[in-house]
Amino acid sequence: MIALVDCNSFYATCEQVFRPDLWGKPVVVLSNNDGCVIAANKEAKALSGIPMFEPVFKIKKLLIENNVTFFSSNYTLYGEMSQRVMNILSSFSPEVEIYSIDEAFLNLSGMKYFSMNCYGHQIKDTIFQYTGLPVGVGIAPTKVLAKLANKISKKRVSENKGVFVIDSEEKRIEALKWADINTVWGIGNKHSKRLKNIGILNAYEFTKLPKEWVRKNMTVVGLRIWNELQGKSTIEFKTVPQPKKGIGTAKSFGKKIEDLGMIQEACSSYISEVSELLRNQKSCATYLQVFLHTNYFSNHDQQYSKSITVTLGIPTNNTFILISEAKKALNIIYKPGYRFKKVGVCLSGIIPSNYVQGNLFTPTPLWDKNQLMDVFDKINRKYGKSTLFSGLVGTRTKEWELVKEDRSPRYTTQWKELLKLKTINN
Amino acid sequence: MEIFSSGRLSKIKKKGALGLSKQSGFPSPATHYTEPGIDLHKELIVNRDATFYVRIDGDELSNYNIWDKDVLLIDRSLAPKKNDLVLVVIDGEFKVIRFPEAFLETEFILWGLISYIIHYAR
Repeated sequence: MIALVDCNSFYATCEQVFRPDLWGKPVVVLSNNDGCVIAANKEAKALSGIPMFEPVFKIKKLLIENNVTFFSSNYTLYGEMSQRVMNILSSFSPEVEIYSIDEAFLNLSGMKYFSMNCYGHQIKDTIFQYTGLPVGVGIAPTKVLAKLANKISKKRVSENKGVFVIDSEEKRIEALKWADINTVWGIGNKHSKRLKNIGILNAYEFTKLPKEWVRKNMTVVGLRIWNELQGKSTIEFKTVPQPKKGIGTAKSFGKKIEDLGMIQEACSSYISEVSELLRNQKSCATYLQVFLHTNYFSNHDQQYSKSITVTLGIPTNNTFILISEAKKALNIIYKPGYRFKKVGVCLSGIIPSNYVQGNLFTPTPLWDKNQLMDVFDKINRKYGKSTLFSGLVGTRTKEWELVKEDRSPRYTTQWKELLKLKTINN
Repeated sequence: MEIFSSGRLSKIKKKGALGLSKQSGFPSPATHYTEPGIDLHKELIVNRDATFYVRIDGDELSNYNIWDKDVLLIDRSLAPKKNDLVLVVIDGEFKVIRFPEAFLETEFILWGLISYIIHYAR
């Protein structure tokens, strides 16, 4: 059997754990730069008219009128709480696949003498007791069915209490009949529309389609889902994260910026972040893409956007080489007189470091020694992020940095931001 | 206030073998007796994934021997017994109380058991 455990409205409940005054009240979390709503708890979702992914400035009034508490995203906190949940899960199964920040698959095979329902409740109760985070648990013979069981666990709360097990043929068929075709994990919009057109409305009807038809029309990926829904496990556990094929970052500036120097600093800082990720997974990038644009939402600003891709002479993960290449690229695409909103970088053509080929026409610079980057990373790991940084990142106030006006304290990672207990009238 | 600037306790690294054993001349008589130094994090924290820290602001809890600027270690995995100090939520607010023998479910919501109080002595 396979369990899928996922946290209910994870970002919002992370905030609520430390704020009992907000228990049972609507809470939303805003994206980086307070751009739009990216998460809402069930109380906030119940308020009609709060659209997700809508720019905040359009709905701020609505939020305030409805007494919704909003937070800037505090990824440090969410990441640490997620780590706790995953650690606890690993005590329930030797094989845990972390699927996202708030979901994981657990391999429960070889536990046939346990009651899966009890085990599911034990998982759920332990996580809630240890961390204060509510989770839903779905248990079934395959990943796709576990995902479905998880969905059901949350739908009929009074009956299932957050845990649902598909352990019999009747339950499987009941679940399949309950599931709208577009809610099945792995079936996208395009396919579900097409299936609906031929009269397939739920997962059960989908499993009754002939195998050949599914294979022909939905490729081997569709066939896998078809098999999984029948209870035949075809999707493997991935307990080791796959090396990334492209790494990029792009964040809106805290305010609009015209100055090239400032944009360069932001760009260099993003390069530092992504090249460190690259070194962590021991790979090098062949292509570097830099892009720059103004604010699409603004009606009164002149619009401009441009992107450029540079092929690196020799694939590298060296922060300094990448920063100097990015600087050159930025000089080419930058145009004065515009108020820019965002700069972004993306590294692709990623290959393992030990497969890097030299280039006959580009001499390897003498200082391009991996030792320098090694020491650089070691020092930053030991003394904290950005203890050492490239001079191009600059030391002046980072005007481009994200606005995080309403970020909660980093309760679990910063000694100076611990949860504070005022002890008056106690 | 050194305790506030000294960073997270978790950053204290485990020290393995003593430097002593690396000497090149006369072999240290302690060679076979070396042990890692005391690691407070290991001693005070039983379940890291269930442990949270709370900073006290104010002297109102002095009858529990909890003082201004103290740090409470809360271990949510431990079940409180009668008279244990616990952090609870009453009407949406955190309170510290002694765990009663009998209580109504509506009286308070248990947040976690206070396992240690870190007090700066100077």
